[in-house]
Amino acid sequence: MIFTIKDLLSIIPELIIAGSACVLLLVDLLISKERKACMAVLSILSVIAAGVASYWLLGADFMGAKSFAGMFELDGFSTFFKFVFYTATVLSILLSFHYVKEEDINLGEYYVLMLFSLSGMMVLASGADLLSIYVGLELMSLPIYVLAGFLQNDVRSNEGAMKYVILGAFSSGILLYGISMVYGLTGTTELSGVAAALSDSSVHVPALSIAIVMMVAGFAFKVAGVPFHMWAPDAYEGAPTPITGFMSAGPKAAAFAVMLRVFMEGLQPAYEQWMVMVGVVAVASMAYGNFVAISQKNIKRMLAYSSIGHAGYALLGVMAGTEEGIASVMFYMAVYVFMNLGAFGIIIMMRKGGQRGELIEEYTGLARSHRGVALLMLIFLFSLAGIPPTAGFMGKFYIFMALIHRGMVGLAIFAVLMSAVAAYFYIRIVMLMYMREPAGEFEFARSKGIYYALFITTVGTVLLGICPGYLVKLAEMASVIM
Amino acid sequence: MLLSYLPVLMMIGFVTFLGVAVLFVSSLLRPQNPYGSKLSPWECGMEPVGDADIGHFRVHFFIIAILFIIFDVETLFLFPWAVILADKSISTLAFIEMFIFIGILAVGLIYAWGKGALDWL
Amino acid sequence: MVDTAFIVEVIIIWIKVVVVALVLFSMPLALTWIERKVAGHIQVRLGPFRVGPHGILQAFADMVKMLFKEDVIPDRADRLLFKIAPLLMMVPVFAIFVAIPFGDKVTLPFTDRELTLYISDMNVGIIYVLAVSGLAVYGVIFGGWASNSKYALLGGLRSSAQMISYEVVMTFAAVGVVMLANSLSLVDIVRSQSGGFWHWNILYLPVGPVWFFIFFIAGLAELNRIPFDLPEDEGTLAAGYHVEYSGMRFAFFMLGEYVAMVSISALAVVLFFGGWDDPLGPFAFGIPPILWFVAKVMVFIYIFMWIRFTLPRYRYDQLMTIGWKVLIPISMANVLVTGFMRI
Repeated sequence: MIFTIKDLLSIIPELIIAGSACVLLLVDLLISKERKACMAVLSILSVIAAGVASYWLLGADFMGAKSFAGMFELDGFSTFFKFVFYTATVLSILLSFHYVKEEDINLGEYYVLMLFSLSGMMVLASGADLLSIYVGLELMSLPIYVLAGFLQNDVRSNEGAMKYVILGAFSSGILLYGISMVYGLTGTTELSGVAAALSDSSVHVPALSIAIVMMVAGFAFKVAGVPFHMWAPDAYEGAPTPITGFMSAGPKAAAFAVMLRVFMEGLQPAYEQWMVMVGVVAVASMAYGNFVAISQKNIKRMLAYSSIGHAGYALLGVMAGTEEGIASVMFYMAVYVFMNLGAFGIIIMMRKGGQRGELIEEYTGLARSHRGVALLMLIFLFSLAGIPPTAGFMGKFYIFMALIHRGMVGLAIFAVLMSAVAAYFYIRIVMLMYMREPAGEFEFARSKGIYYALFITTVGTVLLGICPGYLVKLAEMASVIM
Repeated sequence: MLLSYLPVLMMIGFVTFLGVAVLFVSSLLRPQNPYGSKLSPWECGMEPVGDADIGHFRVHFFIIAILFIIFDVETLFLFPWAVILADKSISTLAFIEMFIFIGILAVGLIYAWGKGALDWL
Repeated sequence: MVDTAFIVEVIIIWIKVVVVALVLFSMPLALTWIERKVAGHIQVRLGPFRVGPHGILQAFADMVKMLFKEDVIPDRADRLLFKIAPLLMMVPVFAIFVAIPFGDKVTLPFTDRELTLYISDMNVGIIYVLAVSGLAVYGVIFGGWASNSKYALLGGLRSSAQMISYEVVMTFAAVGVVMLANSLSLVDIVRSQSGGFWHWNILYLPVGPVWFFIFFIAGLAELNRIPFDLPEDEGTLAAGYHVEYSGMRFAFFMLGEYVAMVSISALAVVLFFGGWDDPLGPFAFGIPPILWFVAKVMVFIYIFMWIRFTLPRYRYDQLMTIGWKVLIPISMANVLVTGFMRI
């Protein structure tokens, strides 16, 4: 099991992120509290460096090969997701610049933990072995637990983080049980080996169903699918807002990446079994997330439930089980990063001084005095609701297409109906912003970071809505490689 | 295998037996004359104030315990490496790997140091 | 079916266990007398002199006194933990000696049976020793906590923090030795040093002396002995974690500490000074190896006593600083240097 230089080259992006996280941890000791913004800049630079490395690897001759004795797979699929993670991380860091000063959590560890989490996501997207996947999953989750509780003096933050840690540990345990049962049944943890062993139908014993139930449960926890969503509203509400955005974009995409990889590559022969379970979770998530979101008063909580609903849509793409389904999930995750972080960007802008910007009521009459901000919020909310011509519509469209091509028309119709429900609570905010008189003056956190982030997310949301072709083509190419 | 580890149980059993036996002999010989002030915890001869076992002590002890867990587990990872180090086919690579491993460990130590987790005053 | 050879093996092991345990159990009697004599002579006085010639029976008198002492259990104490803490401290220390080799194989007189002068040659001996010696901290912390006395609690906490901190250091030192011997078995470690004192790990220059230095300081701290006897710091803590103990239970704590001192001395000999190996190597003139082992251990025990009556005590923050900020970085660097020399 001696590895070669080629193995090391294939993990250069991961090495850059993990190495710079370690270095930044030490650099942080030298930087005074007033100048922590350096840390953010350095973090962004290291993510960009990793992005360059990933781009360079696309042309490498060992692209698509497995390294480290089958533990790690560098292919188009993982690279696509890595770019999604890079985008989510950079946007979250940009959104954090001002927020951390406002909340007095201006600590270097904040960025370092994001980088560690990012490295976990990258390992997760590339993991070709259940063990490396598990390690990646923990590496991704542990920093997120800490980040969710980063507002040390806020009771809600502590509560959310505590729920997240305990339920997260529990779900990791369940996932690990599932992994160990798969190992027991197939004698290997390598996904291709698992698939080969499972193609023999004599392995399809009831224990396999139990293993699949456990794995679906473990992954559904990470994507916050019903009934494993309980942590999400509290953790989303309590976490610092940029971290909420990060949690709903990065780790969620990573969880979908690993879900696609495990179910489509490793457990493909047992498609009939996991398809039903994923489908149940998907339907439950869509229904529960969208209906409960209606009654929320806190916008972060509302977005938490909406993200449960979105997880439901994306799970439908997983359920389709075709290359088209994979591509649609990949596209959806990329789109979700832009529109969701955009919406969170507006919320972060509203956090200034005594104004928390967390209650939906606080947005009343925003359009009267601040047209631009309200317009941006409108775009993001329309996109989240799936109204054309925004990116959110295209994301849902491709998923429904994949479902219809698969012959699951009933599910597609159900999902469309749920989108109609979702439209209600998104548009309610738009209504408040445009149709009501403001109760008082608005203050905005103005910083270059937020402007850049809003610019990127707006351009992404609009552009991917009008001409999604290029990204869809990339996603289709990447899904074929798998 | 059994003969390697059975003696551990024998030794534990025998020493426990010795200890209990000595205590038993002592219990036959010693006086038993307790009274209030003899049974109160020693506090320089003053009346003891409050309970000691409610666990009010410096958080530093917890930090040291956490650091101990990390470092003790990581030093245990060094043992298998130390055993195979002489194997020429793998030694250079193993050494580089351990260099990185200890480097990461050092990052953690320096971080804890810089954050003041190792300072007691 | 259990065959006869197996039963004979087990009986031999039983005999060895009983002999080792009894010797160790009575050793503190001699050691307390020696320690007090050493103290006396270092401080230019005579030490115990009344009971028997040169006070040699003093320890027996102490033992009898301890046996007759009342066993006071404070009324607020956690009675169960308070009662078992001394045993928890004492038993693991004895269990260390299961793995320690006192000598190589000898042939019994009048028979042709070979007898090994160690109870068990575990293939993970050194990890076993570190693990078991770590268990003694439970006795200390239970004793300190169960007494429900502030001095005892502080002493117990200090002691456990000190012991776990220096356990990391000691593990590093053990890793160093394993790198030199490429085996975890203590018997193999001794054999790898055989053939005269210039083969001993202490003289594996330049890293050997550094490892020994690290090990020795960690050993002093693990034993809670001066200059690291903060848990029993009379000036600030009365007697530390055993302040509420009396009679035989107190004696068990003392017994545990003395046997631990013997165990660290024996480990130092095994890991760095060639165990039972004859220092003269090829020029040896027939002193039985086990005597060499005992002599080396005695030298270490003397050194521990000598240090005790020579050096002042460190402050607690200095103690933790030495452990975490000096010894652990040195150890980490030394692992790399040793590794570089061995590849």
